Amino acid sequence: MNQQEKLDILKNILLTDERQYAEEISKKIKILEETINKQNQLSQKVDPIIDHKLEEFIKEMPKTLGPTITEALKSEIENSKDAVVEALFPIIGKMIKRYVQHEMQLLSEKINSQVSNTFSFKSLKRKFKAKKTGVSEGELVIQEQIKPVIEQLMVINKGSGLIISEYTRTKNIDEDMVAGMLTAIKSFAEDAFDKKEIELQYIEYEGYHVHLQNFSSYYIAVVISGSYNVIFKDELEDKLLNFAQNVINKEDLDDTSKLSEKLKLYFENENI
Amino acid sequence: MKISKKVVLIGHFGVGKSSLIRRFVENTFSDDYKVTIGVHIFKKKVAITEEDKDISLVIWDLEGNDDIRDTRTSYLLGTHAYIYVFDVSRPATYMTIKDDIDYLKQHCNKTLIKIVGNKEDLLTKEQIKQLNKEIEPLVDFYTSAKTGNEVDELFSKLAMELI
Repeated sequence: MNQQEKLDILKNILLTDERQYAEEISKKIKILEETINKQNQLSQKVDPIIDHKLEEFIKEMPKTLGPTITEALKSEIENSKDAVVEALFPIIGKMIKRYVQHEMQLLSEKINSQVSNTFSFKSLKRKFKAKKTGVSEGELVIQEQIKPVIEQLMVINKGSGLIISEYTRTKNIDEDMVAGMLTAIKSFAEDAFDKKEIELQYIEYEGYHVHLQNFSSYYIAVVISGSYNVIFKDELEDKLLNFAQNVINKEDLDDTSKLSEKLKLYFENENI
Repeated sequence: MKISKKVVLIGHFGVGKSSLIRRFVENTFSDDYKVTIGVHIFKKKVAITEEDKDISLVIWDLEGNDDIRDTRTSYLLGTHAYIYVFDVSRPATYMTIKDDIDYLKQHCNKTLIKIVGNKEDLLTKEQIKQLNKEIEPLVDFYTSAKTGNEVDELFSKLAMELI
């Protein structure tokens, strides 16, 4: 046995484990190569990871990208208003058109049914009213559809702006604060024109109309929703005048609870 | 029976009227319009335990004017009490105090008036004592809107007297 053969035998004895290990590694590398090179196999391994990451990204997107997108949109809209209007106009325009069409159809159906009932008592009454007031019958029918509603009525001390009494359908505002504000606005407007005999009579606020009727020591503020028109204004003025002349006594102005009761009785079933 | 009283806060620019009132009230509108119409309205309900009554103070915080005669007189109508506020650290805000009080009395002789020296935290007790000797008519309260000192006491006393 020569030296080389002896050395081989010794290698065999000493490096058996390493050789087996090397063979295993070689097998694994081969499998990995196959996995990477074959798309199907790679996709099976990688897809779940990507899906998970994507899910996380979608969840986090509003937090991480939200402010940036909002800011970018804001500045984009500011810088190119015309382009935005041009892009949005067809969409919003169509929506508005459809809504108006729908509402007009409803209104037209209601008007038709009212006009077709020509000889009803209500219709005859309307015809008479149209003749008396000079307002066309059609306009009266439309006014009936968007009938004004008295939401709140306040009797307010003219000088101090303190509320004497009030009647409301839904209690959702602080009447003391509103009475004070109305009086301040009224005083400001009246002072601004520097004519003592002129008094503020009307304020419009979004969908609400505030009718102000002045008396000697107090004024009545009526908050109205719906259509506020000349006919309604006349009727309301008459009704308030009648209330002030025939219902309110001097003593009522000192007794808020008594006046509140009177207001409720007078206006709760109001049919102006 | 509901009791409501109108209280008007009056005084020079920057004496701390609005800060004083913010220490005390619960209800207010946004004050954006104060510049436009010159008044800001607040409301505070005060319980008078001794009398077992509640009183609503509707407080009109008028825009500061260097000359009280420039104040819109229609805002003073029907006032139940005035709170005249000056800044203890600025003599210009209390130099005309006597004339100003006389002017208010001319308008409503029977109306309650409280004179209040605000920003008392800017002076020492000795300085306040000295100031009190110099000012005529007598100051009712020395308050601090910053620390809240004597603010509640001022309005409670006022409510009590108004009842």
